[in-house]
Amino acid sequence: MKILIVEDEEELQNNIVSYLSTGEFICETASNFNDAIDKLYSFDYDVVVLDIMLPDGNGLNILQILKEEASETGVLIISAKNALDDRLKGLDMGADDYLTKPFHLSELNARLKAIYRRRKLQGQTILQFEEIDINTNKREVKIGDKLLILTLKEYELLLFFITNKKRVLTKQAIAEHLWGDHVDYLDSFDFVYQHIKNLRKKITSAGGQNYIHTIYGLGYKFGLNG
Amino acid sequence: MDKIKGMRLLTKTTLLYLLLAVVMFSIGGLISFEQFKKAVSTETDYELIGAFLRTKRAIGNGKLDAIVTSKSLKIDSLSSRVEYDTTKAYTLRDSSIYLKRTQRVETFRKLIGYLSYDEQDYRVEIIDIIFEDADVKSVVSNITIRLFIFLTIGMLLGSVLISKFTFQPFEQILAAIENFQLNSTEPFDTPPTNTKELQQLNRFLKRMTTKARMDYVALKEFSENASHEIQTPIAIAKGKLELLSGSEDLNQEQITLIFSAQRSLTKLSKLGQALALITKIENHEFNAQKAIDFSDIVNNATNNFRELVALKNISLTNQIDDHVSLNIDSTLADILISNLLKNAVQHNIEHGQIEVELNNHLLRVKNTGTPLKQKPETFFKRFKKSSQTSGTLGLGLAIVKKICDLNNLLIQYTYLDNWHVISIKLNSNGD
Repeated sequence: MKILIVEDEEELQNNIVSYLSTGEFICETASNFNDAIDKLYSFDYDVVVLDIMLPDGNGLNILQILKEEASETGVLIISAKNALDDRLKGLDMGADDYLTKPFHLSELNARLKAIYRRRKLQGQTILQFEEIDINTNKREVKIGDKLLILTLKEYELLLFFITNKKRVLTKQAIAEHLWGDHVDYLDSFDFVYQHIKNLRKKITSAGGQNYIHTIYGLGYKFGLNG
Repeated sequence: MDKIKGMRLLTKTTLLYLLLAVVMFSIGGLISFEQFKKAVSTETDYELIGAFLRTKRAIGNGKLDAIVTSKSLKIDSLSSRVEYDTTKAYTLRDSSIYLKRTQRVETFRKLIGYLSYDEQDYRVEIIDIIFEDADVKSVVSNITIRLFIFLTIGMLLGSVLISKFTFQPFEQILAAIENFQLNSTEPFDTPPTNTKELQQLNRFLKRMTTKARMDYVALKEFSENASHEIQTPIAIAKGKLELLSGSEDLNQEQITLIFSAQRSLTKLSKLGQALALITKIENHEFNAQKAIDFSDIVNNATNNFRELVALKNISLTNQIDDHVSLNIDSTLADILISNLLKNAVQHNIEHGQIEVELNNHLLRVKNTGTPLKQKPETFFKRFKKSSQTSGTLGLGLAIVKKICDLNNLLIQYTYLDNWHVISIKLNSNGD
């Protein structure tokens, strides 16, 4: 999966590249408007991560050009503005998703993969990890052949884990992924714990293995071993 | 906006002028009265002296018999010669006589003169009725009152005309000031006028409004930029910590450090966002004044919180009437109810309760909780919280208050028997 990161802040660019490169991403970067336009005309990308506030132009113009020239490319806007009108404007113009700075890299990862699934893998929407199968079209989870009944939040949690497998997910990142801005700090960590406890129980009682490993004091990691 | 109860400038000046006129006319009346009285008595004396001289002449010509004496002219022959001052042939004095005809005592002017003819002395007494003070007074006051009525009518008519022509630009300037909005880009228009003071006022207002708008835009840009600009460095720092947390063989101490650094960064970023929101509300950037279905928004919000509430073993009950409409920006309505619910969850107790009630008159969010240590109203101020150690920002209720203020909604926080109650009156206009 090939992505272009259009972001003028070099350090943020580095963060994203370092994080995503350990997964199945091939990352390229552009630091300004013209650079981004050059790259978009020269190469094909699956998804573009687009900062809308660039030193030499508005990212929304890039979005517009992109939608005209390469409509199959997915776009994820990242912006420091959380103003609702900006968000709607970007989404109206054809962006697939919108993330407000500061975001968790794990969240960015999950969102990029979701865009990729929707856009590129229309037919193949089964995510697999060992004996766990997730059909993202039907929102169905199977352990082997056995259907696993999960609540919406448990499903979202499992999907978040599988898209971020082998990565450390902080309790904070999980809480924000599940509830957005509705929860604050301390409270939410108990909620995360409860959901994880339930999810573990459901998976193991359906015959699955426990892949959710606790990293004490920080969060969780999904994988074969901690 | 408060109703302005003051008196109109022109009405006030007119009334003051009339009051001044009352004083001036009173003084003028007194002066007229004195002058009139003086003129009348001089004239009476002159007449009396004239009559005396005519009588004297007639006697001198030997026509004593031709003089018809009457009540007002008496000539007495004096039996003995009296010495009288020849330089002062007559004396004048006032006297009162009871008149049968008018049945009252009238004031008269009496002239008593002496003259001699043919070795015979005569005493001449001439009286003339004079204008009484009361009569003079009534004449003078009649005239004064009539003049005053004329003046009053004239002034009132004048003030109507003045307000129509001279004061119209002034009224238009006032209207322009009242309609002035900092956040609009419409130019501040004042009517052209040829009155010097109004021209000065116009010039001043134009300068001030332009300056105010420039400052406003600058301040707005600054606070917006500041809160946005801090998000990028925070994003970088958070990303670094996230990368760090993914690295192998971290010890527990390092993990704890990473975790608390991340939490502080999150708090910082939320703080920036909340302050940016308050600035936006204060700058009246949410002006979409159309009626929305508030019930929908409240229902959605309570549904969003059901799960969190259940996780905290809190029971949430609601009584939400359908189709309660409210004139408010829908984003703000959502923030309002979400913040209230968040507050009710956060400050609740284990196995506590939350009750949400919405009808056409009020929105009420009740929650169980520990007693307040401070006055309830203080929580509407920024950064006021029950304890410094709690993970909250202390801005949630401040934002709620700002939203209520912006939309002229009355909000009240009361605490009674372990229940925290926040009620918002929805129809403060009384409709």
